[in-house]
Amino acid sequence: MIDEFIRATLETIYMTFVSGGISIIFGIPLGILLFFLSRSKKSLNRRIYYFVDFFVNVFRSIPFIILIILLIPLTKIIIGTIIGPNSAIVALSIAAIPFMGRLAENSFNNLSQGLIDTATVLGMNKRQFVFKILIPESLADIISGITLLLINLITFTAIAGAVGAGGLGAMAINYGYQRFRWDILWLDVIILIFITQLIQYYGNKLSKSLRK
Amino acid sequence: MLEVKDLNLIYNQKLHVLKNINFEVKKGEVAGIIGLSGAGKTSILRSLVLLEKPTSGEIKLNGKDLSKLKERDLMIERKKISVVFQNYNLLSTRTVYENIALPLEINKEKNIKDRVLKLAEEVGLKDRLDHYPSSLSGGEKQRTAIARGMINNPEILLLDEPTSALDPNTTDRILKLVLDLNKKHDLSTIIVTHEMDVIKRACDRVVYLKNGEVNFFGPVYKFFIEKEKEIYEEFYKEINIDWKAARKKSGKENQKLIKVTFYGDSTHEPILDEISKKYDVKLNYIYGKIEHLKLKPYGTLIIVVEYEDRDIEGFMKELESKVYKLEELL
Repeated sequence: MIDEFIRATLETIYMTFVSGGISIIFGIPLGILLFFLSRSKKSLNRRIYYFVDFFVNVFRSIPFIILIILLIPLTKIIIGTIIGPNSAIVALSIAAIPFMGRLAENSFNNLSQGLIDTATVLGMNKRQFVFKILIPESLADIISGITLLLINLITFTAIAGAVGAGGLGAMAINYGYQRFRWDILWLDVIILIFITQLIQYYGNKLSKSLRK
Repeated sequence: MLEVKDLNLIYNQKLHVLKNINFEVKKGEVAGIIGLSGAGKTSILRSLVLLEKPTSGEIKLNGKDLSKLKERDLMIERKKISVVFQNYNLLSTRTVYENIALPLEINKEKNIKDRVLKLAEEVGLKDRLDHYPSSLSGGEKQRTAIARGMINNPEILLLDEPTSALDPNTTDRILKLVLDLNKKHDLSTIIVTHEMDVIKRACDRVVYLKNGEVNFFGPVYKFFIEKEKEIYEEFYKEINIDWKAARKKSGKENQKLIKVTFYGDSTHEPILDEISKKYDVKLNYIYGKIEHLKLKPYGTLIIVVEYEDRDIEGFMKELESKVYKLEELL
């Protein structure tokens, strides 16, 4: 049983961090894109913004359990199977990328207009602006966002567990709920709480250290 | 050097913020742009660096019209004008050193360290280089912002309300720094402000904005002499002269109430004393002040002249030839 717990915990952590990583890699550029599109003076860019914005909202409004089911064909193509942690990562990432994009966009929007003007008068190009001002100045905020994202992903892995993803969620349902093992259910919950607290603690600490 | 011609700025096709603005800034000159809130100071500043695209008119830097440039060329030309914003706009995640170095990083220049250290010494930030902006005082933030503006040797330094958030002592030191830099680097400087004292102490020429129009453009001393009444009414909200008393004293026969304006070195000469002795008239001083505009003194006297049967015409003529301006009041 202990082995089972360790395996499930590692699976949950694996799913959370891999899909978290993928969402960061795709979500932050998405956030940057949204930031620039929303401020563009060209009407075409503004229309693209509304289009992208709409899709971000669509993906965020589908209940996760439904999204997993809708993504079954895609998961099959990418991973080859719909069972196991790797298959869950597909749905987890697709749910989390728009979320991360939105979080990043919100952080970027908190940047003062003054700094944007400063970048303009210093003659910065877009790349320099992104890497020297936009990301560094928003980083503490983005880290808070990533913390939130990872905690949300933990909950999502538990949902994914209901449809064959493995991890602590699957264990809670298969053993705890279906076989009436309340001890397992509770231990499961305790481990989840523990992981969540850990992520929150280190997330806050990192974010705080970045605020000068 | 910088020439603004018939500049107009209209927001949303109806809000006419700047109306036919004309002025110029010469090499090495300190120009002030003064106006009350809502006069269009911020709009002018933003237009000069094309943060706001003017509706019509020209902004010529060394003969090149910035408002007609393509984005790519503008990006290069803009680097010749440095802006020190009102709230400094320092990067919170960069130290003083890194903030000052930012423009050099962008231009991928060499000797960044030497140049930053040298300038930091010049502006008095040597001991603060590894501090983050949040731990700096207002004056130090302003120094950092000025240093960041100076680091890439701009042709024009544009300061937006550089002293309005600072206490009088710090204001003194910042103005001194601005003037030192201006002299040492022969740097054209534009100060946007609502404080008359800043104009008095730092500027050579002044653009007085009123309701989006240039109400006056010219040397500071002329501004104070020609617009005296308006300046007192709009900026100081006080009138120092007790006109009632003045009228009472000068109501009699054989008396004249005159106002004498001095400017420049003659201010400190005993002109009045000499001429009054020569014509043997009596002077009764009822109001007087001397102020210093940047370096030169400027003074006003209001005097009752008792002339009895003396040659008052001759007195007036000779006095007029020796002072900046002579007016007969009442």
